[in-house]
Amino acid sequence: MNWGNPYNWGAADWQQATWGERFMFIDPYFWSYFGVGLALATSIIGASWGIFVTGVSLLGSTVKAPRIRSKNLISVIFCEAVAIYGVIMAIIMIGKIQTIESYPDGQQDECYTTALFNGYSLFWTGVSVGLSNLICGIAVGVTGSGCAIADAQTPETFVKILVVEIFGSALGLFGVIVGIIQCSGATFLKNCTS
Amino acid sequence: MGDSDIIEPSAYFFGYIGVASAVVFANLGSSYGATKSGVGICSMGVLKPDLIMKSVIPVVMAGILGIYGMIVGVILQGKVSSITAQSASKQGYAYLSAGLCCGLSSLAAGLSIGIVGDAGVRANAQQDRIFVGMILILIFAEALALYGLIVSLILSQTS
Repeated sequence: MNWGNPYNWGAADWQQATWGERFMFIDPYFWSYFGVGLALATSIIGASWGIFVTGVSLLGSTVKAPRIRSKNLISVIFCEAVAIYGVIMAIIMIGKIQTIESYPDGQQDECYTTALFNGYSLFWTGVSVGLSNLICGIAVGVTGSGCAIADAQTPETFVKILVVEIFGSALGLFGVIVGIIQCSGATFLKNCTS
Repeated sequence: MGDSDIIEPSAYFFGYIGVASAVVFANLGSSYGATKSGVGICSMGVLKPDLIMKSVIPVVMAGILGIYGMIVGVILQGKVSSITAQSASKQGYAYLSAGLCCGLSSLAAGLSIGIVGDAGVRANAQQDRIFVGMILILIFAEALALYGLIVSLILSQTS
C-alpha cells in the first residue's frame, strides 16, 4: 500500500513540521499489526505467568496432600483460558485488516485519515486486550496458588477460593468485550469508501 | 496510489526484525526452560538417580520451543524475500507482527515450563503421584507457544 504523498506536503511543509505532525505519517498498517502482536503476546505472557505461579504451589502442596492434584488443575485451565482470549482477539483483529487498493479521485486525504483511524483503533484495542489479559493471568495465578495451598490444609476452602478465582477470570472477559467494541469501527475498505 | 512498481525499502527492515525476533525470543524461552528445569533435575538426581530420565521431559518440552521459533523464522524469511510491490509496507509490518507473536509467546511458554519443571521434578522426587500433574501443567504451558505459532502462521499468509 503505497500512500504516495497524503496531504500533499511540499519541501517547505516538511521543514517546519512539528513532531506531532510527522507522527501522522507512521503507517496505519504498522499500528494495526503491532496491535495484533501486542494483544497476543501480552495475553500469553499473562497466561504463562499465571501458570507458573499456580503450578509451583500446586506441585509443592501435592507432596504432602496428593488428593488435591486433580482438583486444582482447574486453576491452570483458567489461566489457559486467558491465552485463548488473546488468540480470539488476535484473529478478530487480523480479519479486519485488508489492503486498500484504490480510492475515489481527490479523496486521498480522507482515505489516509480513515486509515489512520483504523490503525490507531486496532493498536489501542491490542493494548487494552493485552494488558487486561496480562493482569487477569497474574490474578488467576496468584489466587490459584493460594487455593492449592489452602486446599492442602483444609479441603472445605477449595470451592470458596474458586469463587474468587472466577471473579479474577472475569477481568480478561471485560478486556475482550471492550476490545471487540473498540475495534468494531475499524474497517479497512478495499476502495476506501465501500 | 503512488508508484506501484517501487518496493518500499522499510518493508524489508521490519520484515527481517520479525524473522530475528521469532528466532531470538523463542531460543531465549527454550534456554530458560531447559536451564531452570535442568538445575532441578541435577539437584534432585543426587538423591534419586532412578528418576532422572523421567524428569528430562521438561527439558525436551522446552527444546520444542526453539523448533517453533526456527520454523517461523524460516517461513518468514522466505516471505520477506518475496515481498510484492502492491502492498509492500503492509506485508513488512505483518511479518514483524508474526515474528513478535511467535517469539514472545515461546519466551513466555519457556519461562513457564522452566519454573514449573523445576518445581515439578523436585516434588516428583518426594511424591510419586505428582508426575501426572506435572506433565499436565507442562502441556498447558507448551500449548501457549503453540497458540503463538498458529497466529504467526496466519499472519505470515498476508499478501
